Formats: sequence, C-alpha cells, structure tokens
Amino acid sequence: MPVEPVVQSVPALFEPIAQLSPAAFDLPFREGYVRSTIFVSLYVSVIAVTLSTLVSIPIAILMGFIEFPGKRFVKSVINTGMGFPSVVVGLLVLFAVSNQGPLGSLNLIFTREAMIMSQFVLATPPITAISLAAITGVDDGVRDAARVLGGTRIAVALVVLKEARYGIATAVLAGFGRAISEVGSVLIVGGNITSAAGISKTRTLTTAIQLEARQGQYETAMVLGAVLVALVLTVNAVVIRLGDSGVGR
Amino acid sequence: MLRVTGASRSYGDEAVLRNLSLEVDTGEVVAAIGPSGVGKTTLLRLLALSLEPDDGTVALDGTDAWTVDAASRRSLRRRIGMVFQEASLFDASVVRNVEYGLRVRRSWSERLSDELAGLVGQSGFDDAVHEALDVVGLTEKVTQHADSLSGGEAQRVSFARALAYEPDVLLLDEPTSDLDPRNTAVIEEAIGEARDRGIGVVVATHDMHQAERVADRVAVLLDDGITEVAPTEVVFENPADERTRKFISGELVY
Amino acid sequence: MSIHRRRFVAALGAGAVASTAGCAQLGQGQSGDGSGGAGVAGETLTLTTTTSTYDTGLLDAIHTDFEEMYGVTVDAVAQGTGAALESARNGDSDVVMVHARGLEDEFLRNGYGVNRRDLMFNDFVIIGPEDDPAGIQGMSSATDALTAIADAEAAFVSRGDNSGTHTKELNLWEAAGTDPGGDWYQETGTGMGEALNIANQQGAYTLSDRGTFISQRSEIDLTILVQGPIEGGPEILANPYGVMAVNPGVHDNANYDLAMAYIGWITSPGVQNSISEYQVNGEQLFFPEAVSEDPDFQQYVPEGWSSDNSDA
Repeated sequence: MPVEPVVQSVPALFEPIAQLSPAAFDLPFREGYVRSTIFVSLYVSVIAVTLSTLVSIPIAILMGFIEFPGKRFVKSVINTGMGFPSVVVGLLVLFAVSNQGPLGSLNLIFTREAMIMSQFVLATPPITAISLAAITGVDDGVRDAARVLGGTRIAVALVVLKEARYGIATAVLAGFGRAISEVGSVLIVGGNITSAAGISKTRTLTTAIQLEARQGQYETAMVLGAVLVALVLTVNAVVIRLGDSGVGR
Repeated sequence: MLRVTGASRSYGDEAVLRNLSLEVDTGEVVAAIGPSGVGKTTLLRLLALSLEPDDGTVALDGTDAWTVDAASRRSLRRRIGMVFQEASLFDASVVRNVEYGLRVRRSWSERLSDELAGLVGQSGFDDAVHEALDVVGLTEKVTQHADSLSGGEAQRVSFARALAYEPDVLLLDEPTSDLDPRNTAVIEEAIGEARDRGIGVVVATHDMHQAERVADRVAVLLDDGITEVAPTEVVFENPADERTRKFISGELVY
Repeated sequence: MSIHRRRFVAALGAGAVASTAGCAQLGQGQSGDGSGGAGVAGETLTLTTTTSTYDTGLLDAIHTDFEEMYGVTVDAVAQGTGAALESARNGDSDVVMVHARGLEDEFLRNGYGVNRRDLMFNDFVIIGPEDDPAGIQGMSSATDALTAIADAEAAFVSRGDNSGTHTKELNLWEAAGTDPGGDWYQETGTGMGEALNIANQQGAYTLSDRGTFISQRSEIDLTILVQGPIEGGPEILANPYGVMAVNPGVHDNANYDLAMAYIGWITSPGVQNSISEYQVNGEQLFFPEAVSEDPDFQQYVPEGWSSDNSDA
C-alpha cells in the first residue's frame, strides 16, 4: 500500500525519545520495535478517524439542517455512543469478525482492519456530536445570507462547514484522541501481535504499554507512554496550526 | 416587475398577512413601513421567493414563482438580493464575502477553477467586487478580514455583497436599525445608487424619516394588510386612509 | 441528494477497509523463499497462547526459525488460557498452546482439538517475604504451606483471572481442603508480572510460575519459599505445557497443514533442545518433554481416557 512507506518516516521521528531515555531504564527494545508500534498506532487511528470524519460530517450536516423522523433517536444514539464503554465495542467487533460471526469469512480477526473497525465505532460519536454542535452554533443569519445570495443547498452547507471549521477540527481531534488512546478493544480484536523479530503487526503503543505493565515493567511502560503523549500533542499542534493558516484568503 | 397579488400567510392559526398586493418596478424604491411585528419581514420573505404564500401569487416578470419547478424558482430567486438587519458576514476576508454571490452562480467545475485561480492571486471577480465596494465607500478594506470591521462597515459590506452580482430586485429588512447616523447615510445613498442602476428596491423600516428620505413610494402596513400604497409625499402629507394619518402622526403607538 | 452521498460515503469506507485488508494480506508471509513443502508458503499461522508463556520471550526466540524454514508467518496471540482456548473453539486460531491440563482435556473431549502433544514443562513456586511470617520455608508439601498461610492469615495475592496459574492455585486450595477468604486473600485479576509487583509491595505470599519469577527476580524482594519439582519440590507444583491443533473437522478454515507443521517442528529434537537452552537472567526456564524413548500415551488423549471407557 502506498501509504506505508510515507507514513513509516513519521514514527522514525519519535524513536529518539525512546532512545534518549536514561541508560538506567535499560530498555529491551529491539531494532524497529518502537517505530513499528508507533506506525501501527498511527495507521489504525488515522484511517479510522478519516473514515469516521467522512461519515460523521455528512451526518452532522443532515442533523443540523434537516428535520426527519427519528432524528431525536439518532441524536440519543450519538450521545450514548460518546460515553459507550470502549471495551464493550471491542467485544461487539470481536463477535462480528470472529470466525463464528457474521463477518467471519472476511478473516478480519487479529488484523489491523478489525482494530480500525472498533476505533471507527468509537470515534464517530464524538466527531459527530461536536461537529453538530459547531454546525448548529453557526449563526442562522450566515446561513440565511448564503441562501439568499443564491447558494444551492450544497453551497450553503459548505459555507456553514467553513464557518464551523474550528469546531469541526476540535471534533476530529477529539475523535483522534479517543482512537489513539484506545486499549481494551484493540487488544481484544487485534491480539497485540508482533513478529518474532519484534516488528509490530497489531501492537499499538497503548497495547504495548499494557503488555509492559502486565509484566510489571513499569518504567518501560512509562517511556512508551511518553512517546504516546508526544505523538498526541504533535498531532494536535499540527491540526491547530493548519487551522490557523487557513484564515482569510 | 416583482408583484405580489392577493397573498395571505399565516403561522399556525395566526394570520400575519391577508390578501396583500404590492409591486415593485425597475428603478424605484418602495418603503414598507409599519409597527414591529406587523409582518414586514414576512412580506419581504414572500418577495424574496423564500416563503410560499398560503393564498395568492408572487410573480417575477409575469412568472408565478410557485407554479414552476424548484430549479426554475431558484433561477428566479437568484435575480433577487436581500440585506438583513444583521450583517452576518462570513468568517473570511471582505473580498471573499463580496464575491460570494458571483462565485456561487458558476457551475461546480467553474467554481473549482475559480478557487485554484484564486490561490495564485488571479480572480475574475475583482472588478465587480471593487465596484460594489465603491458604492458603499469601502474599497480600501478589500483584503481585510470581516472580523476587523466595525458594525457599520460590516453592514455596508453586506450591502455590497448583495449588490455585487447585479440583482434585479434588492430587498432590505431594517438595514440601518443598528447603525449610527453616518453609516446610515452611506447605506441610504447606496440605496439611491441602486435605484439609479435600475434595481427595484424594497426597504422595510420602522423609521418613517428614513422612508421619507429614500422612497419613491411607501406601503403602509397596519394590522394584517397594506392599508395604503402611494407615492411618498402623498402618504406623509395627504394620506387617503385615516389609520395611515394616525400612524404617521404618532397617535397609533407601537 | 444527501442520501446518495451517505451511501457513497459508506461504500467508500467499505472499499477503503476492504482494500486495506487486501494490502494487509500482501504484507504478510512474504518472508523467505519457502523451500518447505506442503504448499504452505506465504501463509499465516495463528497461535493462541497464555500471557505467561508469551511473556517469557521463548516464542519470539524460536519462531523465526520456523518462519524461515517454511516461508510463513506466525502470529502469536497472548490472550490468557481461557481466551486462547475460546479463540480456538471459535475457529479464530489454528493451534493453541496452554498449560492447564484440565481445560485442555475438556477441549479435546468436545472435539475442538486434535493431535495433542506434551510440549515442555516448568513448575510453580510459592514465593513470599524473606521474614516468612507463616513459616513455610522449605516445606515439602505445597498444600501444607497454603494451609499454614491461611492459618496465619498472612497476606496472599491471587491472580483471580482463571489463568493457568490461577487454576493451579485453586486446585491447591481444594487439595488442601481450605477455602481461602478474608482480608488477607487478595484477588488482583492482573497478569503475573503485575501480581508479583503487588505481592512485593505488600510483602505478601503468592503462587508464581518459575519463569516469570526468574525474569523479575532482580526487581522484587520476594524469595522462593517452597520449591517446585524442578528443584526437588512437590510434584503437585508441576506446570506442563501442551500444544493442540484446531480440529479441521469442526472449523474447515483452520490452517491444519501449517498447524501440524508447527507441532511437528516444535516437538522435534532440534527445537526441543533449543527450548532447553532458552534462558532468562542466566537460568533455564523450560524443560522439554516431547521427545522420549518411552512416549506417554496419555498425552494424546484426555487424561484418564481409555478405549475401555468409550462406547462401543
């Protein structure tokens, strides 16, 4: 897949954090372990959040603009989804992709794709709800103005999206935060697998931390935790920066 | 040119307008005056073709807007511009605001190439934008962001925004209620400029003095219909209807 | 218009997931030239096992040879005994390696597993604080030691998670005729490493597999008070590992060929020798069992099964 080599270079930036940690930690990381783990974390979360955004934004626009029967039900589903226990989502995805489940023939158990599925389910409610709040928060006058200036329904929707862009960026970041911090569900459906040589297949930073903690290796877990925090902060900073530079012509 | 005939409109059980008729022609200014809540905004929305009357017709150049399909109605609608009491500018630069009406009338593929051309600094709309801003005296603010404008300046840009794509009809709903005298004067002058260009202007206002200043004809709305429609001097000096006289003189309190 | 867009987006999403699934398949199992026969080259073997087995690092140490020999990929999933068997039951794995004979027997009896082999063993040890409040140091009976701990109401940490270790612990309590309960008995529901840390912080006793204890010995202040059979302690603390293939008669998608190749490989003299040579912190962790002049027939069937018992 063309994405992989390009994205591979990003995790390489974070490996120094693991390598700069004091010798006292004596980290047992093998070549490429941290980098491949970061890659899997990013790969799964970025794809899940992208897919989720593609679904959430249209839903938020529909909810914001149109009255339809069952709208309140959809809204309560979204709000429930915000607080839904993520590990339960993992169980549900497990039931779906297990060989015994409806999607069994797709052989998705213990793959990154199953992890993407569960993160997709987790990220969509916050992205939808926060985007919806941003969209409905756009002044009605702006919407009326766009309409009266001759905008088609789509054009007006685009204007509202643009006005709501900061709120939507916040929504996407919230979704990303939830996705990349996810442990329980990706552990259940992904299996926390690395190759014998230590290259991650379905191990993310979070499940790696869980593994180290399970073994009582708390210092190693802390280092991985620092890498994860750095990663999240960087993504947040990049998105905010992009948002700022998009102001005006 | 734009004619409402026998229109009625209710919200729920409440009849706001009943059997109302009004027309506006090219190159004239009609002021709609009356107390707050009497239905001026509803009237404007009927004229703007964004609200369908329960009874009666609304026709632009003879075409009844509500008997044709949605696409035709949209093209009719696009010949009408509207300015509201609040400027509601987009969170963008002044030029992006003013050119919006022009951009939006292009096909999607044209819009895409417009955007790309805009990125490299070329825009086909510069002249139209400049001209519209000139009418409201804000050409020097072209590249500034909407946030940096004062309330009055924002409303003037809003006017320019409606003017930029050369509508046939311009509807204004209390355009200067929030403005100081200087900006009000600019807007009123712009209204005159629009009329001189052949645009049919309808101004809804509760400021009778403004109506006297800018309008060729005045429609007086009291209760649920038009009490009287006549040239300005007639309405103010020698109204036909007693209620009009009472309203103008301030006896009818609102 | 918006409905169409939503369907389009959903199709886009499904397409994206499906295409990444395809890409994932491409990425797997491309290692080596697969000179091994049986046409398994390029495939992936899913092995589910326990966390304590995985955490010793043994599997990562030996699997590379198998992968290169056959040109395949081994996905070792550390789930815990119960989950490992459940995955196999569901057909989500091809081969399962656990150390809970009772559960393995049930697995065999229910027809989910075939071709079981004894693999290797190590043992459990009872560890605790050096000052040994319950006085169990050097006891030759594990059950007596536990009874002493219960009587002294000395702090004891239990895995409480239905793992192999926990199962063994419960069997010991049962054999001792004691039902543990009270403030001194704490069930943590964590992995072995974490449980050791907790026991360490509290100066408590606990039952641990030797392997995990050896890996963490340098970081905790607990010591072995009752030895396992490897160092002459009671046989009841033995910890035998078994490996089974998932029955292709029940799950036709199970990669039986590759599972059998794996079992054959891991029970071969060469690999069994490698297992015995695997060390953590300078100590041998596992003792191979598969190769013997005098094979134990009981390894192939549920314990206690004999042809006399089966229905005619």
